[in-house]
Amino acid sequence: SPCLPSAGTGALAQWVLLELQGEVEPRQSGDLAGSLLGDLHYTCEGVPVLIVGHHILYGKVVQLEKPFAVLVKQGGASQPSPGEPHGRYTVTALIKTKLLFKTRPKPIITHVPKK
Amino acid sequence: AAMRSRAEVDATLQTAKLNPAELLPAVHCLSFGPQAGGGECCLLQLEPGLCAELEAGRSLIIRGEKDEHAVLCSKDKTYDMKIADTSNMLLFVPGCKTPEELKADQASCNIIHSQIAGFSKNYWELRRCRPKLKKLRTLLMEDPYEGPDSQKDQTSTFSKYTTEDLLNLIQASEEEILHQLQAIDACKIEGYWRILDFDYEMKLLNHVTQLIDSESWPLSKVPLCACLEELGSLEPREMIEHILLSYGRKYVDDGEVFFEMHEDKICRAIAQMLLQNAVKFNLSEFEEVWQQSVPEGMTARLDQLQGLALVDRSSRPETIFLLKVEDLPEDNQERFNSLFGIREKWTEVDITPYIQDLCAEKQTVGALLTKYARCSMLNGVKVYNSRRPIS
Repeated sequence: SPCLPSAGTGALAQWVLLELQGEVEPRQSGDLAGSLLGDLHYTCEGVPVLIVGHHILYGKVVQLEKPFAVLVKQGGASQPSPGEPHGRYTVTALIKTKLLFKTRPKPIITHVPKK
Repeated sequence: AAMRSRAEVDATLQTAKLNPAELLPAVHCLSFGPQAGGGECCLLQLEPGLCAELEAGRSLIIRGEKDEHAVLCSKDKTYDMKIADTSNMLLFVPGCKTPEELKADQASCNIIHSQIAGFSKNYWELRRCRPKLKKLRTLLMEDPYEGPDSQKDQTSTFSKYTTEDLLNLIQASEEEILHQLQAIDACKIEGYWRILDFDYEMKLLNHVTQLIDSESWPLSKVPLCACLEELGSLEPREMIEHILLSYGRKYVDDGEVFFEMHEDKICRAIAQMLLQNAVKFNLSEFEEVWQQSVPEGMTARLDQLQGLALVDRSSRPETIFLLKVEDLPEDNQERFNSLFGIREKWTEVDITPYIQDLCAEKQTVGALLTKYARCSMLNGVKVYNSRRPIS
């Protein structure tokens, strides 16, 4: 039976979820791996600020009422989603916190100095 | 791709007109990890309790054959799985720190290069459901145990099932499966779970009730040892003990093991034995024969037959016939269709034993009736019938 074994007491990593509007697309025609998304800062008050390309997004830290488990499919071949979850999975991490960026991104206007 | 430097980060902050003094010193430079686009990671939203189970090192299991909807099982609960779409993009980031964690760890380095492990627009949602246990009975009924003298076992080509086999085939948690095995009086014979053939079961029960009668033991205090001694030559000791466990409550008094016999369960079994011989019976004749057939000191009552037999008070004379709830469909709509096919209009009292097992956690019989039936009045009595025309 497809089993979701966990790595053992206390060994489960804690990851964070980033929730953004829109699509994730690689800037170049190459694949996503290795490409930069952006810089994530926090204000002193703890407000997350994400700079992506020419946009600034302000967000908030949300403690999830229902945490997520991250499942990694074993066996390599990726399944067409969202098919039936038959197959072997391992629980790799838990996610209890998300950074939610819902506000419209503010464009960064580069000031062109007058000559 | 080259990793961003502090100088590059600061330059970006300046362009964005953000004041570094208003920000925490550490920055996460986010990039996509090598596996990020692969689609091998997915998210499972956890119901209360499951997170704690995972952190305690326990596993969750997805069960279901290709033709079944997959369910997720913890140690003791079963959940339906459904995909939930969000309109947003969810990125999962290992090693990403929250503001609290950064503030708590003042020595944390200035730049944290975080790799996004994966992303998704959807996740698996769970909803607690009834374990799908009908298949358990179906599998065990493929080859009921007829006793050691039966030739069948040697030549049997049917599959026999170990606990492990059942865990692989039944869409339910281990605890729910083990609990159901006990509820249906299954027993382990040579490592395989078996259900007793009904006739063999009645034969065993009869040995015991006759012995109780001849020894004049009180029904509440039947000694195990004496039973094994007296009946051990007739049947295997494990079977004698099994029948006592099935039809009695085991207890210890002064170091000796006794059984308090379940009057209701014994009367019910005897009723089944009588009813299975014909399509239906004249009610009053049945009640007479039934009372004569039960052990001395026991009282046969119709309320002992809930979920086993149905009385028809509209026929002249009144009749009774066998109708076992465990023979009916497991799916809610199919169950109601089946019941309304048997009888057009039901009172709540009559239908309750046949739908009780459909109730989800905290759901009432009333709620089920509201959903799957239509209510009307018949001769001043509230009755329920199908919502749709029965063909």
